[in-house]
Amino acid sequence: MIRIEHLSHVYPGRRGKPGRVALGDFSLAVASGAMTILAGPNGSGKSTLFRILCGLALPSAGSVRIGGFDLFATPGPARALMGVVFQAPALDKHLSVAENLRMHGRLYGLSGPVLASRMDEALAWTGLEGRLGDKVATLSGGLARQVELAKCLMSHPAVLLLDEPTTGLDPAARRSFLEALVRIQRERGMTVLMTSHIFSEAEDADQVAILRQGHLLACDSPGALRRQLGRDMVVVSAPAAATLAPRLEAALGVACVRHGEELRIEILPEGGPVPLIDAVLAGFRDEVTSVAVRQPTLEDVFVHITEGTPVSDQELRA
Amino acid sequence: MSSPPASLVQASPEGTKASFATAERPRGTLAGASLALAWREVARFLRQPSRLAGTVGQPLVFWLALGTGLSPSFRASGHEGVSYTEYFYPGMLMMMVLFAGVFSTITVIEDRDQGFLQGVLAAPVSRLSIVLGKVGGAGAIALMQTALLLLAAPLVGFPAGPLGYLIILLTLGVLSLGCTSLGFLVAWGMTSTAGYHAIMMLVMMPLWFLSGALFPMDGVPAVLEGIMWANPFTHGMIVLRAPFYQEPGVFLSDPLYWRSAAVVLGAVALVVWGAARRVGAREKGGAFPPA
Repeated sequence: MIRIEHLSHVYPGRRGKPGRVALGDFSLAVASGAMTILAGPNGSGKSTLFRILCGLALPSAGSVRIGGFDLFATPGPARALMGVVFQAPALDKHLSVAENLRMHGRLYGLSGPVLASRMDEALAWTGLEGRLGDKVATLSGGLARQVELAKCLMSHPAVLLLDEPTTGLDPAARRSFLEALVRIQRERGMTVLMTSHIFSEAEDADQVAILRQGHLLACDSPGALRRQLGRDMVVVSAPAAATLAPRLEAALGVACVRHGEELRIEILPEGGPVPLIDAVLAGFRDEVTSVAVRQPTLEDVFVHITEGTPVSDQELRA
Repeated sequence: MSSPPASLVQASPEGTKASFATAERPRGTLAGASLALAWREVARFLRQPSRLAGTVGQPLVFWLALGTGLSPSFRASGHEGVSYTEYFYPGMLMMMVLFAGVFSTITVIEDRDQGFLQGVLAAPVSRLSIVLGKVGGAGAIALMQTALLLLAAPLVGFPAGPLGYLIILLTLGVLSLGCTSLGFLVAWGMTSTAGYHAIMMLVMMPLWFLSGALFPMDGVPAVLEGIMWANPFTHGMIVLRAPFYQEPGVFLSDPLYWRSAAVVLGAVALVVWGAARRVGAREKGGAFPPA
């Protein structure tokens, strides 16, 4: 449904300075009806990719096809298939909920009874009964996001793009937003591409794509990504993790990945975690605050993939 | 994936999903999308009374203060027996159209800041309708305001009849289309409302000063006269002023009127076209790989 091929984007440099590569030869395919989460650290090219996908920017090279339509050559039909939920609210705060929905419907060519039934349908799952006449400015953050999603669902998009849609929501509001999204996605067989920082959101996805410095580092199902890391890992918390890491590696003969005050030992030596924990406690008891065995989460996978394998400058230019 | 027979498409849930993905979606038409966006401009305006006060109040204050102050000393050739209050009246209408254009296109920058614009740009509507929505809505607002002030015209003592007023309203509509499109064109590339204000004062005010709105062209230094003739606003003032003083039959058969009208229409078409092009231009990535 979404086919991104050899996409590159360079932000031109000023006054003879070289440009900055935001995306370098990026390819990704999203099957019809699949939900894909796009994850990556800040500055990894997610936003650039998103801007290109929703047709706001043209890339330096490469092609994007949405439902078979070339997004750059025939933006009209491609846009008609898409719904876009932006990170910044795209609602008019001075208009009421109903007015926002109606206007959005008109932009997507809906009118009359079709428009009215689509509005009812889009609002059916939300908690907005009785608030239709209220200005969007008076709604809570969670409700405003619901309006945003309801608005985009009105045109029955075949492809829904979401850019960190749950930013700024409390955990309960985030969960209800995602539950609604996943349910509607499954019901309609909608293709969803969503960028996210929050890895609990990725567990429901069919596919997780991890992006760094404009390159696709990994793309697989959440389960397969977790299996890459092995079954268990040992996590050592220490206030001086940076100085402890080389000594720990030397003393125990294991590789550590540091993440803040945590040292992760992802590949366990023969004998499993228990002797390793004993060894850590025997040698470094005063320096560590805790030692634990953990099942890898998607967040661990993310940390492993984005920090474990540095991309060389040469590779970037290639 | 082979496509199921048509009869199965509705029957099986898998079939409906497949047809859901490939079914063609309607798109907003030029008129439908423009109207929806224009309606939004008007609805927002009516909910912000301070904007109404600003755009109507400022030219009115200008007109009353300058008109009463300058009337005793105003003696221009070709305008004998015309008080400055009267001379300046059409100029004030022009100023109002101009101000309404500047004020209402500030919202382009606000829309971008608040994220509303992205949603519109991602919608399957022609880029021209995005311009026409903003400009049409702003034009309708400007027209409502000027219509309010036109009610004062008989008090000033103009002899225009119903047809004359109709032509005046039509002219004001075209002029406000031009002013808002010009504002749109400038605002599109700006990121701060303060900067936009500075640029508009720099561009719009001189255009208005040198349009014959404030003082007549007769007897000004030749250089200034040349500049004034090159200014589309001057032609706008000629077209706007005519129905106040002449019967429609008289000025409509004057080739000079039509020359100015053609300049105005040409200039307006040019800025509308320019604005649509500007909106349609998507930011393009640089050469890859970078040199």
